[in-house]
Amino acid sequence: MTAAAELVSHNTLVVALGVGAVGFAAGVVGSLCVLRKRALAGDAAAHATLVGVACAFLATGRRDLVTLLAGALLAACAGLGVLVLVRRFTRTRDDAATALVIGVSFGLGITLVSGLPAWGFANSAGLEQFLLGHTAALTSRDAWLLGGVAVVAVAVVAAVLKEATLVAFDAAFAAATGWPVTAIDYVIVGLVALMVVAGLPAVGAVLVTALVVIPPVAARFWTDRVGTLVVLAGLIGLAAAVAGVAVSAARPGLATGPLVVLAAAAVFACSFLAAPQRGWIARRADAPRAPAAGWNSGAAEGGP
Amino acid sequence: MTTSPRPLVEFHDVTVAYGRRPVVWNVDLVIDEPCLFGIIGPNGAGKSTLLKAALGLVPLVGGEVLFFGEPLARVRGRVGYVPQRETVDWDFPVNVMDVVLMGTYGRLGWFRRPGERERRLARECLDRVGLADVAARQIGRLSGGQQQRVFLARALAQEADVYFLDEPMAGVDVRSQERIFGVLDDLKADGRLVVVVHHDLRTAAEWFDRVALVDRRVVAAGPTSDTLTPDNLQRTYAGHVDVLDDLAQAIAARGRTP
Repeated sequence: MTAAAELVSHNTLVVALGVGAVGFAAGVVGSLCVLRKRALAGDAAAHATLVGVACAFLATGRRDLVTLLAGALLAACAGLGVLVLVRRFTRTRDDAATALVIGVSFGLGITLVSGLPAWGFANSAGLEQFLLGHTAALTSRDAWLLGGVAVVAVAVVAAVLKEATLVAFDAAFAAATGWPVTAIDYVIVGLVALMVVAGLPAVGAVLVTALVVIPPVAARFWTDRVGTLVVLAGLIGLAAAVAGVAVSAARPGLATGPLVVLAAAAVFACSFLAAPQRGWIARRADAPRAPAAGWNSGAAEGGP
Repeated sequence: MTTSPRPLVEFHDVTVAYGRRPVVWNVDLVIDEPCLFGIIGPNGAGKSTLLKAALGLVPLVGGEVLFFGEPLARVRGRVGYVPQRETVDWDFPVNVMDVVLMGTYGRLGWFRRPGERERRLARECLDRVGLADVAARQIGRLSGGQQQRVFLARALAQEADVYFLDEPMAGVDVRSQERIFGVLDDLKADGRLVVVVHHDLRTAAEWFDRVALVDRRVVAAGPTSDTLTPDNLQRTYAGHVDVLDDLAQAIAARGRTP
């Protein structure tokens, strides 16, 4: 079969749609995550997923997507739980605790996934594809599952966008006016864990955070409104995911994940350069009216 | 607003700690009528902590705070809050109107979005703080004084009976200060209580009807002219040599106040 024929085959098309939906939802959920300044929590969840994939396989002997992703979701939540515990009981700072969870859980995950064949689990081959993502093995049933998860995630964001925005902007005011800030934070981080897991087959554990973080950061260049940001980030995620699937279908040797991330990075680069007002060129041309620094430029206005 | 049979705000033996380190302790304070009430004291005296504790943002180690004779959870809708301006990221992708509308969220509850009634209210509140013409502007493109007035407008949109403001004059230009105090005066005239954490002694004497001098405990509280005495100020600011100059000016300013 030629590359062109493979590109348009029914299965590839369905997979592209399913992964595209995941890309959209990842951008939407990522917007809340980045606005709440929790981008690294997603990375901790992502790196913990491999442990879950391996354990799910060990426990059930099955390697269908639902089983493996269910394990990944459990592991992602466990990783976030460990992160909270490390912060609370060892008084380790947030960044160090996150790096610790990322490193340890990833080391454990790699050991398990790469060790399984050597320990006699011959049919475990393929699990390592969750490392960098590989859409060629996905069936259209898998794609429908991923698409369904994406729809649920987007629906939840649409429902709680008002509350999540309030907490992300001013948690103290939200708490003072009676909103359960911690519960809303759990919803945001839970959605991030869900999208990290849904992005796992296509983008892989190492890079899936990029699919959550890059689209909202790129979208921020184009808009000053949360609602627009969320939709735009979704569209960027969608475009990046579909581009990655298409290129890796045409060039089967290439893993999908890096392609998806590179596509998103290309959008980021264009946004950074060309966006009106916040883009680099516009700011150069408009130097006297220097715009406020913020999370795009890395200068956070920290409170006490 | 009808006068409550119970005091508007009561602190009873309130103690607050961060970890094991007590920050303020044994605070007893009763505010029983609408007024402009200043919480005054040196930096690090626990003024903001006291205010946050009252709002349930910092847990109490001991004691209780009552509003209208009830715990906060039962009357949250009647308590407005203006946090310190530096606590939020002003590059956040919202405009002025979006922020003011956040004041209506408490009343709206889960899932309901602001409608025409909320937008009208938000526009009125922006008008009262003099920012009607920048409603569509991203909040990072405002001056510090304008940002503070956005926060005040958001609190106005809460339509509360008691307002807590945390250092609303910090980093704010004189024009915005006057505008803010104009709004606070109107609130008082309208029968609301306004409690302001404030560290500038020079302006405290002329702006507040009543004050509490706080240095980890309440040193003195009452009508401003009876409370801002040289003796009380010395006791509050003992060990804060850097403010002795302010102190002298405050006492001088008190002499000028009718």
